[in-house]
Amino acid sequence: MIRWIGLAAFAVLLAGCSRSTTHAAGGKKMIVLGVDGMDPVFLEKHWDALPNLNKLRHSGDFRRLGTTIPPQSPVAWSTVTTGMDPGGHGIFDFIHRDPHTRIPMSSMGETTAPTRTLSLGPYRLPLNSGSVRTQRAGRAFWQTLGEHGIAGTVIRMPANYPPADCEQESLSGMGTPDLQGTLGTFSFFTDDPAETRTTLPGGYIARVKVNKGRAVLSVRGPENSLRKDNAVTSMDLVAYVDPTAPAARFDAGSEQIVLRQGEWSDWIHASFRLIPGVKSASGMFRIYLQQAHPQLRVYVSPVNIDPEKPELPISTPSNESQTLAEAVGPYYTQGIPEETAAFRAGVLSRAEFLTQSHRVLSDSLKMFRYELARFSDGLLFYYFSSVDQNAHMLWGKYDDDLLEIYKGVDTAIGEAMAKAGKDTTLIVMSDHGFARFDRAVHLNTWLMREGYLTLEDGAKPGEEELFGHVNWSKTQAYALGLNGLYLNMDGRESGGIVNVAEKEQLLDDIAKKLLAFKDPKTGENVVDKVYFPDTAFKGHNLKYAPDLFVGFRRGNRASWQTALGVVPKETIEDNTEAWIGDHCMAADEVPGVLLSNRKVRLDDPQLYDITSTILAEFGIANTSGMIGHSVF
Amino acid sequence: MDFLNGVINSILRGYFAALSWAPAGISLAVISVLAGIGMLWVFGKTSKPARIRAVKRRVQAHLLEIRVFGEEPAVVWSAQKSLVAWNMRYMGLMLMPAVWMAIPLSILLIHLEAFYGRSPLPVGRATIVTMAMRAPLNPESAAPVLRAPQGIAVETPGVRAIDDGQISWRIRPSEPVSGSLSFQVDGQTIEKKIEAGNGLRLVPGMRVNSLLGSVVHPDEPRIQSPSVGWIDVRYPDGSVAIFGIELHWLIWFTIISMLAALLLKKRFGVVF
Repeated sequence: MIRWIGLAAFAVLLAGCSRSTTHAAGGKKMIVLGVDGMDPVFLEKHWDALPNLNKLRHSGDFRRLGTTIPPQSPVAWSTVTTGMDPGGHGIFDFIHRDPHTRIPMSSMGETTAPTRTLSLGPYRLPLNSGSVRTQRAGRAFWQTLGEHGIAGTVIRMPANYPPADCEQESLSGMGTPDLQGTLGTFSFFTDDPAETRTTLPGGYIARVKVNKGRAVLSVRGPENSLRKDNAVTSMDLVAYVDPTAPAARFDAGSEQIVLRQGEWSDWIHASFRLIPGVKSASGMFRIYLQQAHPQLRVYVSPVNIDPEKPELPISTPSNESQTLAEAVGPYYTQGIPEETAAFRAGVLSRAEFLTQSHRVLSDSLKMFRYELARFSDGLLFYYFSSVDQNAHMLWGKYDDDLLEIYKGVDTAIGEAMAKAGKDTTLIVMSDHGFARFDRAVHLNTWLMREGYLTLEDGAKPGEEELFGHVNWSKTQAYALGLNGLYLNMDGRESGGIVNVAEKEQLLDDIAKKLLAFKDPKTGENVVDKVYFPDTAFKGHNLKYAPDLFVGFRRGNRASWQTALGVVPKETIEDNTEAWIGDHCMAADEVPGVLLSNRKVRLDDPQLYDITSTILAEFGIANTSGMIGHSVF
Repeated sequence: MDFLNGVINSILRGYFAALSWAPAGISLAVISVLAGIGMLWVFGKTSKPARIRAVKRRVQAHLLEIRVFGEEPAVVWSAQKSLVAWNMRYMGLMLMPAVWMAIPLSILLIHLEAFYGRSPLPVGRATIVTMAMRAPLNPESAAPVLRAPQGIAVETPGVRAIDDGQISWRIRPSEPVSGSLSFQVDGQTIEKKIEAGNGLRLVPGMRVNSLLGSVVHPDEPRIQSPSVGWIDVRYPDGSVAIFGIELHWLIWFTIISMLAALLLKKRFGVVF
């Protein structure tokens, strides 16, 4: 599993910022609702069921909103945040790779361990602080607003971990890790002998022994960065299963929970000991008693950072997460809270996923209502993840279920419209739309078949991650992430063989072949467009940019294996996973939406125009690197 | 013990009923002042003021000796030894009144915990009720049955922890309630009081079977069934705000009672 964020993060400086009073925005008010993955075609199909969105388009405007290349959430929201294209803010995928080693890493946040430590027995005590820093370049729009004395509240903006240093109130969103430093690692405990799996993408399965109804579930916490061996911390959750009734009691420290089969718990606070009696790490998780008999099956959510005692910087000011928790109760801090990984792994069923997903939406609506009620001046930005995460699991097959999620967001939009009235500009926007994900394309296998990637002698295509058997001395190109294709450049990649003079011709050749690549099953083109970073972007911050972006035709997407540098046997195959909808395709195929209570005058509005629009509403011109225009 | 506990609880109920109009901070402040006065009275009756004065004078004298003869190590050393000795004597003189004060004070504090240390269950919030038997459970036997008063929903079947001899249920109040949970055990009915809603009131903690346990858990009469050890409802912790500062009630009690004792000690002729 890829570790997005190193666990040395427990020694970091909390990057909170002091709060100072911002000036009134001269009575100007603006509400921007970011609805990840809201799709224009889905809206057009369901206007009648979404009365508030329908009313908003009639009273104001509704347009398609051009997304980024590639149309991935961290890329797209970084564009909204900065007003730059990916060439400006430098985020090109969920993952980047170290050009030298080709090892993937988080594109969003980077954690640095303390450089000086004191060795004391089994412990390694930090003498200076490590750091967590964002990989994103450019100023966040709310930083600019703050510099002009405009109050701003920005809740759950994706790719804003750690949160941009500022005096505004903000809470980090997608990209915020769980306590283990990953994007979300669930655990599943069972005594079912038929369950033989131990690790899964996004989680692990632990076998437990049930003795007279009692079982000890060891919930993993973070690696202990204060220990020399980085031992993984854990906390015992003791389960007592009734001999006959489908229910169990769980003891977690001083907390007790009784659940019926099929019930989720509320948040359980957890403390993971780093140095006994001296230092521990606080987190919280929820449990789901999937089955009590005949076998015990218990799902434990990823251990979230406790907003009341955050171990990592998740808000500005640093105590804002605590203030929110006091107001609305504990909430998901994990950047992507919907349990899609467990659904994909078959650990949770669709119904179970939907139950949890609706709880996420319900919690989000509660926080939204709190923020909306206290909003009185300047800007309020609020982000909803539910449409996107549910569309990934329901798109094109379970429209009714997805519509229920849309309706939940529609309710919030109605409340925002009521609050906005006539004197507040309201924008509802999404970063991209959606399409079916029917065919999984193994780009590395395609490169191998086309002669651009070579395996070591005797090696066969398989499931080895991170280019396990690739012969780099005979490889010209490789794919990593969901849209990126890289050349094996001499002087950039370790053991790279492509020199600068060959680069352009090689890319042209690959591009032509990609555009001619036909699905043997359907006979249709797999790739709609290819993009080169130097022509696709205005910005030149291309350090981590792929050499070529693959814009898949609707229905096709890079396989999960491609994202992790695997070279499987097949070039393209049916997507048989629960993850059935996606957007990592050609940008034109999956535009987002723009709705507003005002008329949009800009033709062909793009994501970066939203940033310019926000600043323009408060009389602020584009800052350096911003490329958009106000849509009004 | 049940009789004594019942009397004390009745007195405290009467006191809180009289002050039901006031915020919790006021009733706590009044009772803390009264406790401070009570402590002064007990101290006055059980201490030896003349001897305490004499010991304090000795301590002051040796402190003065250290200050005046600070340049002479032998004198300072001797004075320090004497200081330690007289301090020990001082503490010895405090011991007897402290023991006498500890008895009524402990009883009072244990009883006050039911008023200030626990809050009634908030309406809509689930909690756990646990009944502990005095022996491990037999999984083949029928589980005890819990019946709740109107306004309290029993949301789960009883979950038996076999070796621990415990049965736990999840309950949730849907409205303010002041009533009793009923447990059917071995053909016998056992009750446990339950409080849900707002406002200061007696929120009974664990109901116990043993005599010793009833000293520490005095809010309800002892359980008469030979098979049940205790019954507990998990209540949220209480806290008391005075001047807008929310602290654990014991901290406020200590501060106010000590202040009262310090301010009134001359009036009571108490020396410490």
